[in-house]
Amino acid sequence: MSLPDLLALLPILILVFGGTVILMAGAWRREPLPLIAGGIVTALLGAVAAGLLQPPVVEIAGLFSAGAYARFFTIFWSLLAAAGLMAAIRYIIENSIGAGEYVSLVLYAAAGMALLSSATHLLALFLALETFTLAFYILIACNRRCALAAEAGIKYLLMSAVSTGFLAFGIALIYASSGTLSLPEAVIKLSAAAGELHAWGLLGWGMVLIAVGFKISLVPFHLWTPDVYQGTPAPVGGLLATGSKGAVVAVLVGMLAISGPVWHGLTDLIWLLAALTMLVGAFSALGQKNLKRLLAYSSVTHMGTLLVGLLCQASAGLAATTFYLVIYVITSLGAFVIIASLADERGEPMEFDQWRGLGYLHPVRCGVLALLLLSLAGLPATAGFMAKFVIFEAALQSGYLGLVLIGILSSVISFAFYLRMTMLLFEPDESACRWHAGIAPEHAVIAICTSAVLLFGLFPGILFDLIGRILP
Amino acid sequence: MTAASALPQFPWLTLLVLLPLGGALLCLLHHRRAEECRWLALATTAATLGITIYLFVCYGQGDSGWLLYEDAAWIPRYGIRFTLGLDGISLLLVFLTAFLQMIAVLMSWSEKQHVPLFFSLLLVLEATLMGIFLALDLMLFFLFWEVMLLPMFFLISIWGHEHRHYAAIKFFLYTLAGSMVMLVALIVLYLIHGEQTGTYTFALAELMQTELSSQQEMLLFLGFLLAFAIKIPLVPFHTWLPDAHTEAPVAGTIDLTGLLLKTGIYGLIRFAFPLFPEATRSFLPVLGIVALTGIFHASWAAYRQVDIKRLFAYSSISHVGLVVLGLAAWHLTAWEGSILLMLAHGVSTGALFVLIALIRQRTGTRNLAELGGLWSQAPQMAFLFLFFSLASLGLPGLANFAGEILVLLGTFQTHPAWAAIAIIGVVFTAAYMLRLVQGVVWGPVKGRPTLPDLTPREWLILLPMAVLVLWLGLYPEPFLRPLHGAVVNIMAGGLP
Repeated sequence: MSLPDLLALLPILILVFGGTVILMAGAWRREPLPLIAGGIVTALLGAVAAGLLQPPVVEIAGLFSAGAYARFFTIFWSLLAAAGLMAAIRYIIENSIGAGEYVSLVLYAAAGMALLSSATHLLALFLALETFTLAFYILIACNRRCALAAEAGIKYLLMSAVSTGFLAFGIALIYASSGTLSLPEAVIKLSAAAGELHAWGLLGWGMVLIAVGFKISLVPFHLWTPDVYQGTPAPVGGLLATGSKGAVVAVLVGMLAISGPVWHGLTDLIWLLAALTMLVGAFSALGQKNLKRLLAYSSVTHMGTLLVGLLCQASAGLAATTFYLVIYVITSLGAFVIIASLADERGEPMEFDQWRGLGYLHPVRCGVLALLLLSLAGLPATAGFMAKFVIFEAALQSGYLGLVLIGILSSVISFAFYLRMTMLLFEPDESACRWHAGIAPEHAVIAICTSAVLLFGLFPGILFDLIGRILP
Repeated sequence: MTAASALPQFPWLTLLVLLPLGGALLCLLHHRRAEECRWLALATTAATLGITIYLFVCYGQGDSGWLLYEDAAWIPRYGIRFTLGLDGISLLLVFLTAFLQMIAVLMSWSEKQHVPLFFSLLLVLEATLMGIFLALDLMLFFLFWEVMLLPMFFLISIWGHEHRHYAAIKFFLYTLAGSMVMLVALIVLYLIHGEQTGTYTFALAELMQTELSSQQEMLLFLGFLLAFAIKIPLVPFHTWLPDAHTEAPVAGTIDLTGLLLKTGIYGLIRFAFPLFPEATRSFLPVLGIVALTGIFHASWAAYRQVDIKRLFAYSSISHVGLVVLGLAAWHLTAWEGSILLMLAHGVSTGALFVLIALIRQRTGTRNLAELGGLWSQAPQMAFLFLFFSLASLGLPGLANFAGEILVLLGTFQTHPAWAAIAIIGVVFTAAYMLRLVQGVVWGPVKGRPTLPDLTPREWLILLPMAVLVLWLGLYPEPFLRPLHGAVVNIMAGGLP
């Protein structure tokens, strides 16, 4: 790896080395605050480096892209890590979790996600995926006094192990059939390959798709999601729900943007997966009585919608998917941080009974939560609507009317459960009791997410233009 | 017109939308002082009403063309613009919105629960209604159309009666389902137009030029129609209304019948008919028959109700049936009558809801079996109840009559059979209204022998409504004048 390569990799190196330094510093100094602050600064530095430094090469060692698209997601995931750390301050201190470990793991996860979003090589994809998944196993279960968290950690570990198996086998088959591990090339050669080789290649891609399905919880590979979300502390959940899924979608978008139309024999399968995911996610969410489980199923539904965007092969589809992804990440993160900011010695408010009437005790945060939930549902004037609109528009343009109608049905059902939750928040209830008032960094993250949801809802042009410029 | 030339570019329409929104925001910011919020809401609605009256006086006499038109770029990538336009039809509906919303605020003066949130929701509702009646960009319209559901949803679900949650969710999902289908139709139309002309836009005037095969046109029309039919509501899609209606607090009920139902009809007039003229023409007979069925079904259902609020829900369904019948007749007089009837129905039914709420406050019931003898209990209230009920059943000289007679006259010229059947429907209306009046106003006194009569605040609410009812009934000309040009143009398949 040459010097230009390293320079191009610098933002990620900052994250990784910063994480390592903080990990070691944590061994000597146990005060959490400086360590967390160091972590936030490192993440922001990574973002700044990715934003300001012009990469000297386009591709790093044939493994990772250093183009504008990759840079965008490097910045995005670094900022996500910073936000995640800001939301985790109280969680770390109040549960006396080792700050050094926690902070460094979040930074490693961010590095993994950034690498994954910029991967152009199947091995790079595999390595990056494992990097952040590994960090998440520990992050989920790092509060050893919480049985639910341990259960969630184990569940995530088992499911990820299965998906890793599929991924590795899939990659092997793809290599066998195409003779290359470069992502765009492997895709292109699939269409060129004939006969038996083509079949093996398709099988390989199918397996990769299954692995992806586990990671971003597509139906029927979604069963782990609600349990893991429920057991995961909200500051980690915020990252798990957004970054760990978003990075996977991002790499698919990046790959499709270079390789062009790809799905060939898999179109029907993806159609089915998207339809199932949207419907099953929405219907399962209806019966939930726990906000985190609700958010889990909601994320399942959203991944289904994203899949619709991926299916539209036109560049409009990819831009729409990226837009949707960014909005989904911001909105979801905001919701999780609100949960985290309310947590006190009783834990986090999760069950619906705990939320009833909170809107009058914590008007601002509950009002914002209502807004974010409605944005997830896709109410016009919020960013969530614009996101759904662009996906549906792209899908209709590509002729997927049936899928759009299913998406609409799923949206209507989604409204039912999001509305039930918002109604609950503002239901007058005498027995409602106060939760934590939250601290400034948490409020800051919430404020940023909310402003973004409103800004991109009313003036989505800003984000469209940006995405239009960075897509390869 | 002098004022217009003095202030040529003043964005009145944008102000109509933004003013209530600003008021809502201020209410939320002042959430610790309930008293201030009340006055703030009143001031905002009063100012909005002032603006609409000003517009009425200054621009209401223009005969055709847009009385006011504002246009700004918004989301260029998808060709979405912030376009507002005011013609005679929107002028009347905007006036009705401002008027009823002020009544709603006054009527909720004694609201105790979460006052700031309540008034800010009312104001948001007003802003979105204004937006619906003014928007000329289909995406902008859709935005207001959807957002409107939210304040109504909360008004029902927080301040409603016993079964409020069920009613609120039912209301929201029902109407949402329709609008989502409309959204798909909207995007498809947008894409077809874009492919034909190369310019992707949601502007109504542009989309009207789209060339569609008759099958495409019919499908898209049905997509739009579904959304509007649910909101109007036309009969097979009406079941959400009685629930939402009965459970909503009084301000919500006034808005729901007075204004929300009108948005559906307005949508038909402004968007569905002009966008798909061929499909409209072939579908009108169906629409007329559906409307007729609605008149009878709803009248019959109204006759059977014991809860007077529920009774009025059905009565409203029957009234909007008549409005839609007038549109389906596709005759100038009938159209003018329909739009006038919308206005009249908004005012007279709104007043009746005010009275029902007052009766319930005093007697604690809305059950017809437990009411009676209001005339001896509270004569002033009983008089007004009688007055507005008579207006509602179409007594000549009062508001609804003017609209109904125009609808029937117009319909008679194109579809005599429809008009003949509809007249029987009007008799049905008289039947259930008289049964209601008989049960509430006359008969043996049930409950306490005397009830507190109207207070000055309540007179302040009801008197302007009574004046308007008389005015609409005796001299509707000032309201018809701005309508004429707009209606002629829309029926000719164009824009004002």
